[in-house]
Amino acid sequence: MRKQNYWGYIFTLPFVINVVVFLIFPVVFSAYISFTQYDLFNAPKWTGLTNWINMFNKDEFWISMRNVFAFALIFVPLQTLFAFLIAFLLNQALRAKSLFRLMYFMPVVTPWLAGGVVWAWMFNHQYGVINWFLGLFNIDPVHWIDNKSWLVVMASIAIVNVWKGVGQSMIILLAGMQNVPKEVLEAGQIDGASGWKQLTHIVFPIVTPMVYMVVILSTISAFQAFDIFLGLFGGIQAGIPQQSVVPNLVVYRDSFVLFKMGPASAMAWILFFVILVVTLFQRYFEKRWVHYD
Amino acid sequence: MTKSTPLPIKMIIYMFLIVGAFVMFFPFIWMVSTSLKTSGAVAAMPPQLIPNPIDFGNFVEVWNKVNFARYTFNSFLIVTLDMIGALLSCSVVAFGLAMFEFKGRATIFIIMLATLMIPGQVTMIPTYFIWKQFGMLNTYSPLIIPSFLAGAFGIFLMHQYIKSLPKELYESAVIDGCSPPGIFARIYLPLCKPALAALGVFTFMGAWNNTLGPLIYLQSKELYTLPLGILYLKSENVNQALLMAGAVITTMPVVAVYLIAQKQFVQGIASTGMKG
Repeated sequence: MRKQNYWGYIFTLPFVINVVVFLIFPVVFSAYISFTQYDLFNAPKWTGLTNWINMFNKDEFWISMRNVFAFALIFVPLQTLFAFLIAFLLNQALRAKSLFRLMYFMPVVTPWLAGGVVWAWMFNHQYGVINWFLGLFNIDPVHWIDNKSWLVVMASIAIVNVWKGVGQSMIILLAGMQNVPKEVLEAGQIDGASGWKQLTHIVFPIVTPMVYMVVILSTISAFQAFDIFLGLFGGIQAGIPQQSVVPNLVVYRDSFVLFKMGPASAMAWILFFVILVVTLFQRYFEKRWVHYD
Repeated sequence: MTKSTPLPIKMIIYMFLIVGAFVMFFPFIWMVSTSLKTSGAVAAMPPQLIPNPIDFGNFVEVWNKVNFARYTFNSFLIVTLDMIGALLSCSVVAFGLAMFEFKGRATIFIIMLATLMIPGQVTMIPTYFIWKQFGMLNTYSPLIIPSFLAGAFGIFLMHQYIKSLPKELYESAVIDGCSPPGIFARIYLPLCKPALAALGVFTFMGAWNNTLGPLIYLQSKELYTLPLGILYLKSENVNQALLMAGAVITTMPVVAVYLIAQKQFVQGIASTGMKG
């Protein structure tokens, strides 16, 4: 490290401006307007806890929370399991490894909106290719994202999300597995460890920090789901049925469709706290199963 | 389970991977296939995998009439400026953090972590308020200017790389009478090419796929980016073939970038655990 201190300030100035203008001010202002009535055009009017109390009294709030928790509970384990399995298989001595990796990763770079509209089309009750395929096995057409049951809707969306995200988790896990020393695996083989034993007793414990990271990242992304809902259902106005709504959609609608900035900010903060609590909860259990040596 | 894997198990592994890869790839096939169908063939039962007849009319219509030509240009414009901004600002800030000892340096690292944790929806409304005060709603400024102010993810990526370069580079340049900006521009920036490539690719992907930003800030249709174009088609309830043609146009460039820069994508994600 050098003496000319002031250069440090000059070089980091862009980020400092960024933080002041686009982080500190917005966080403070957002907390403030969650206690006001505000439409962006007239000055905010202080209303105390009204927005917060109204929020908890609305069915929509509880529906959106129920949905997003169900969505995360289906999506995160499913994605992690598949990502782990694919990464483990791709880590073997196989042909065409890079081709497989390429195909599994392609949805990650695909725009949400493009992926969303294709899946909505494939999910189509009458003309969708998925129901046609199931029909070959005499399975009745399923209502996927337009089901009466919210749980089926969330599960269907979770499937699309796994398609979109599994490649990313897989790459992270694969990087972890490539760090597993070959000698350790060979020693295991000499001791007669089967493939399954190797997986559960050698590979999994070594990559647990990666698994933990993948779980945290996908949990956060699940609670912030937004684009996929737009892609599957179209715009907010086009009508996402209330039973299928998630918190970020409510935030967007309240703020930029209805211009009710107060309730929207309160909802955004609640979502932040929920994500924080869930992340801390996962951290609390981390030491039970994650090994750092 | 390296070389001695028995054949039947290997077959099962291949089967699993091939079925999986097919499921992953099928939506792309279906997207392209549907986009080449006439409106009559779209809802044909059983569905046609290879359209009969093959019809490029949807692309012509989406490109000219729905103006995806313009949306494509807009997307490329924003993405290019975002990339210039991110590469420049992130490497400058990362250089400052890696090379100089100053008061508040540790705080900057903590704030970097915090910016990654505060979700966009919390800061979204006040940020909109700021751009409204500047009179910049319905312009590209809200989508471009922030990228010139260095995001935490990019700084982190560049910082890790700069730190791995030998310290003697800096010392000897100082002895040769080079100023810090000169050392940055002439010595470090050229050496950072691999990290810059990774950051460039992530910035491209993030900006190209961004939906919420353009959705909030752009009202005039001629300013739309490709994802907004898709949303527009969807809200107009157009024919699926037309919608898929739009999706193909939106997907192709970013997939092309991925195919060209696969290595940067994969290494970038593996080393930082995130995407841009």
